[in-house]
Amino acid sequence: MRIPFLSMFMTSPFDSLQEHAEKVKECAWVFQHAIECHMVHNCRSFDGLREEVKRMEQEADAIKRRIRGHIPVGSLMAVPKFQLFRYLREQDSVLDALEDALDWISYREEPGIPEQFQKEFFLLIDSVIDPVEELSRMVAEARKYFKGYSDKQRKVVKEIIRNIRKQEHEADRAEDIVKKKVFTTEMDPVTVFHMVRLAETLGHIADHAENAGDMMRAMIAR
Amino acid sequence: MTAEYFVLIIGYVFGFYMAWNIGANDVANAMASAVGAKAITIRQAIFIAGILNIVGAIFIGSHVTDTIRKGIVSTDILTDPHMAMIGALAALLASSLWVSFATWKSLPVSTTHSIVGAMVGFGIMAGGFSVINWGKLGGVALSWVVSPIFSLIIAYVMFKIIVRLILVRRSAFIHGMRLSPIFIGLAGFVVVLSFLFKTPLGNTLALSDATALLTAVFLAVVLGFSGKWLLSRILRDQVDGDVEEIFRRIQIGTSCYVALAQGANDVANAIGPLAVIYFLVKTGGVAGTIPVPTFLLMFGGIGIACGIAMAGHRVMDTLGNKITTLTNTRGFSVDFAAATTVLAASKLGLPVSTTHAAVGGVLGVGLAHGFEAVNFTIVFQIMLYWVLTVPAAALTSMVIFKILEFII
Repeated sequence: MRIPFLSMFMTSPFDSLQEHAEKVKECAWVFQHAIECHMVHNCRSFDGLREEVKRMEQEADAIKRRIRGHIPVGSLMAVPKFQLFRYLREQDSVLDALEDALDWISYREEPGIPEQFQKEFFLLIDSVIDPVEELSRMVAEARKYFKGYSDKQRKVVKEIIRNIRKQEHEADRAEDIVKKKVFTTEMDPVTVFHMVRLAETLGHIADHAENAGDMMRAMIAR
Repeated sequence: MTAEYFVLIIGYVFGFYMAWNIGANDVANAMASAVGAKAITIRQAIFIAGILNIVGAIFIGSHVTDTIRKGIVSTDILTDPHMAMIGALAALLASSLWVSFATWKSLPVSTTHSIVGAMVGFGIMAGGFSVINWGKLGGVALSWVVSPIFSLIIAYVMFKIIVRLILVRRSAFIHGMRLSPIFIGLAGFVVVLSFLFKTPLGNTLALSDATALLTAVFLAVVLGFSGKWLLSRILRDQVDGDVEEIFRRIQIGTSCYVALAQGANDVANAIGPLAVIYFLVKTGGVAGTIPVPTFLLMFGGIGIACGIAMAGHRVMDTLGNKITTLTNTRGFSVDFAAATTVLAASKLGLPVSTTHAAVGGVLGVGLAHGFEAVNFTIVFQIMLYWVLTVPAAALTSMVIFKILEFII
């Protein structure tokens, strides 16, 4: 504090935002692992992986709280504070959606996902993970944009956002395919409900990633 | 007389201590943006600041000092040499104490204002409230508000211009190179004018305002184009390089200027009272202005350099690590705003510290969304200490004056 110049600079919330995005990405990978394990028979590590996802979600929550709690009144930032918070909320909702999906599976671990739907579910999971993986890259590129304000860099960020939107659309299609197939197959109604709801929960993951992208679009608006 | 020589020795010790403090603390503020923006390394900053502070103190620093800084106290109180000597010592001790306290408690205070406050305290004790030039003191108070705001506006505009004209462009580097003479020229204009108006070097040349302006414009144009030529040679291999690289080179120039100007201006804070004591001991009388021997200036300059060498490293280390979002374009905006503010303020006769101007500059860039995050509220805290410094140093000075009156 003896040096006023120094004390004006605070730790950038973008550092933590980036950290949070990385956490989301890692969590998505563990999630994918867990759900793929669940689909093959004799999976023993599902519960362990689910715990892992829960733990990571809590860590990410701590980062989120740290960001929200450490922007004092009168901070000047590259983007308005509440825009940043709204973005953060969407990024965090991705994690919640990942957790929800695993929880939903755990409510009815046996008999699990019927074999005839597994291919469709694999595709759906891949397509909801894709946009989530883009988030951390988007944050990194956006930070570069805030440094230079160059048009070129802004295009890069916009391209990522567009890409996320496209991937979310893909995920929607995959979700539709799963649901259609579930409804057209003769099965007991409990399994139908479990599968349809699982497909929807998985779809939410991509939805939140897309929302995060939209929030980022608002942040880089001129 | 042994007592007087005793006072002189104490004066040397505390004068050196004040100089050391200027080096340890204020230099970091001046070189902060350059180090933060990684225009220069910490080692380079310490070397440049040390050498240029000594050079600035000796060759540009005032060889004639106002007995009382900035004419805040009437010189009538100096008619009694004994009292003048006690007063100068009290002022020096009080400001040293206050600065030490600030360092210990990590408070953001300016050495300039400490010495001003100490002088006010001594003035009140020696001649009552009537000897204080309240108008001038009001000017000091005004500068607390005016200089950051002025600097804020310039930094804001400068950064916006850089963003609009260069950064957003598709081929930003080429645009940057094309416009570089303007930015180098602008910086050069302010630097040349500062040297002509602010320093004793300019006083000896004694140019009229109009001539000085013309000289500055001419030199700025020359500097601008030769600077561009130099830049295009240095950055020859970069066809589509980084704009920051251009501003990095310009910033090296501006930070050199800041170090030089600081040595020239701030050395008087440390050795002003010492010079008064020295003059009294040697001649037995004192006047409104007294000559400062070169060895005293050198003494002060070396004191500043010692402060930089011994404590500057620690400060700048934190600076370089902590401030990661300060890039060269931002650093240049801050430097330019600070230099312009200091120039304008001193032309208006307002005492202003580089620190205050730099703080305003950072806020300006922050308002222009130049930083990922800076804290605005801290400014109010900083301002509180700016306001507190003068009465606090004044009170300390009064107490010490009374004690010294008993002893000597």
